[in-house]
Amino acid sequence: MASAAISRGEVLHLYRSLLRTARQFCDYNIREYTKRRTIDAFRQNQNLTDSAAISAAYSDGKSQLDVAKRQAIVYSLYAPTIKSVMEA
Amino acid sequence: MAASTNSLISMQSRPGMAASRICSLKPVSVSNQGRSFLSFGFRSMPARSLRVSCAAKPETVEKVCEIVKKQLALAEGTPVNGESKFTTLGADSLDTVEIVMGLEEAFGISVEEESAQSIATVQDAADLIEKLVEKKD
Repeated sequence: MASAAISRGEVLHLYRSLLRTARQFCDYNIREYTKRRTIDAFRQNQNLTDSAAISAAYSDGKSQLDVAKRQAIVYSLYAPTIKSVMEA
Repeated sequence: MAASTNSLISMQSRPGMAASRICSLKPVSVSNQGRSFLSFGFRSMPARSLRVSCAAKPETVEKVCEIVKKQLALAEGTPVNGESKFTTLGADSLDTVEIVMGLEEAFGISVEEESAQSIATVQDAADLIEKLVEKKD
């Protein structure tokens, strides 16, 4: 994808979408993992300057977002009836 | 027979109005000219001191401050009030997104993209929350 440089707004939009998608999971563990993983990954790549690396990380994030959206739907078909102990 | 009609010229303002007046006095008198408007004249408030158009309730601001403090892991004594900007408290843009997510969950609202990007201070967040909660109900 030789598109123009990824803007800060797009990155934040991706971040927000990932966190929103994480909220849709019914399983507490997967929900927490998705949140944790996106926060860690974005913090780790916070200081990238090379635009090739930035766009690689961005497209990686986008594919992860697609995976998460799909899995949220699949998991909701088999939602656990009992809430996890960790949830209030 | 003296019918005791004591027409006292007392401060008999309705509780709702009093509460809203007090609420809007708090943020204004702090950020204002330095003179403390401690004289609560319920009916005689100078119009020019009402700079805040729709001040959020103090409990909302309090709750927002709590969430911000937890998210940014601020030390106990750090002063966080309505006027604190997120950047001053050490938050970067990722932190701001997380804070907005936390606020969405805490208040059960949904903030869209553009509104979320315009939030800079605690007061902005509280006002936006009030507006969305009102729209929801």
